[in-house]
Amino acid sequence: MAINRKRIIESLSQVSVSANDQGLIPAFNVFVNQFPAALWNSFAERLTHRVNGDLLPAAEYLLVDAAHECGYHTGYGIITSEEWASVVGPMIENAPEDVLHGAFAVFTAWGWAKAEIVELVPGKRMVVRAYDYYEADSTRFGATRKPSAYMIRGVCSAFMDLAYGGPYDPTGKTALRTFECTQIKGIECGDDYGEFVVTPAAAA
Amino acid sequence: MAETNHHSFQMEQKFEPRSCRHLVDGRTYVLHCHHYAGLYTQLAEDCGVLDGKKLLAEVAEDTFYDVLSDHFQKYGVARIEDRLAAGEQYYRITGMGLLKVACAGPDYGEIALPSSHIDAGWLKKWGKSGKPVNHITRGFLAALFAAAFNRPRRSYTVTETASIASGAPESRFVVVTR
Repeated sequence: MAINRKRIIESLSQVSVSANDQGLIPAFNVFVNQFPAALWNSFAERLTHRVNGDLLPAAEYLLVDAAHECGYHTGYGIITSEEWASVVGPMIENAPEDVLHGAFAVFTAWGWAKAEIVELVPGKRMVVRAYDYYEADSTRFGATRKPSAYMIRGVCSAFMDLAYGGPYDPTGKTALRTFECTQIKGIECGDDYGEFVVTPAAAA
Repeated sequence: MAETNHHSFQMEQKFEPRSCRHLVDGRTYVLHCHHYAGLYTQLAEDCGVLDGKKLLAEVAEDTFYDVLSDHFQKYGVARIEDRLAAGEQYYRITGMGLLKVACAGPDYGEIALPSSHIDAGWLKKWGKSGKPVNHITRGFLAALFAAAFNRPRRSYTVTETASIASGAPESRFVVVTR
């Protein structure tokens, strides 16, 4: 693998986005926003702690799914961008596996999570570890029994969709949701890191 | 009302290499896209059991109240017109769109939104909506007015009276003290 993760993070963490004269940030084929992470965390945590037990799986599914769609479309925008072509493109020897490793370096550089792939069976299974992530901030003391990294789960699945789910589909009807992700460890749960296992979706 | 376009919004941004977080004035910020914001908004719309629209607006109010209050204190932004201008600039910097405060007092305000991230994203993703959907901006405005007029959070009710997502040329909001 020729992916130089350190170099990608150093380079792409310095990429800044700025609003146009309409106050919008069109980039990577989407409109980008840059909000305090607390906004996303607070909505997810208040929602999942206020719905009753029967509705919790549905609420969690929808939170993960929001990130899954976001990760799919924005992820595609990133891996087809000029920034990617100039920084990551020359490092790719073995696609799509190197693309996946590069994507998690970008994921880290953009502040979504300090995460890397620790196991990859092409097309079948990926294990990702996150050593720091904003979703863990929902628990500041002690440990919760409820893993809270909905965004990471969704984006991990999305990246596997992009790598192995078939050609990119802007409508999201064909190649999206071909993988699913389970969080098996979490900093918010008292573990040293978050761990995420991605496998083909049961319904795919 | 005085001109409000002379305040220059300041903030300290840095990438923290150990945690790999982007910090703005010490807070973690993160980039997301209109799909994410749109699906959170859709989730709020669909979550009637506990009034998801109110929940999303309150989360936005709490988040931005902290940001704006801290900013006013840290940078010594004291005049009402400067605080409102700072709010307009912050709104633009975050990619939320263009926000113009037409009038503002401690009990009432009118705001126009010629462009909006939430509405543009909604239209791009789903097309025209039958109702206003910009709950994040409702929360932002409640926060801006509370912080600007030194009131606690939940001091204002914000109503979206016209909506780009619903076909209006610009969105409009009315802010009224509770």
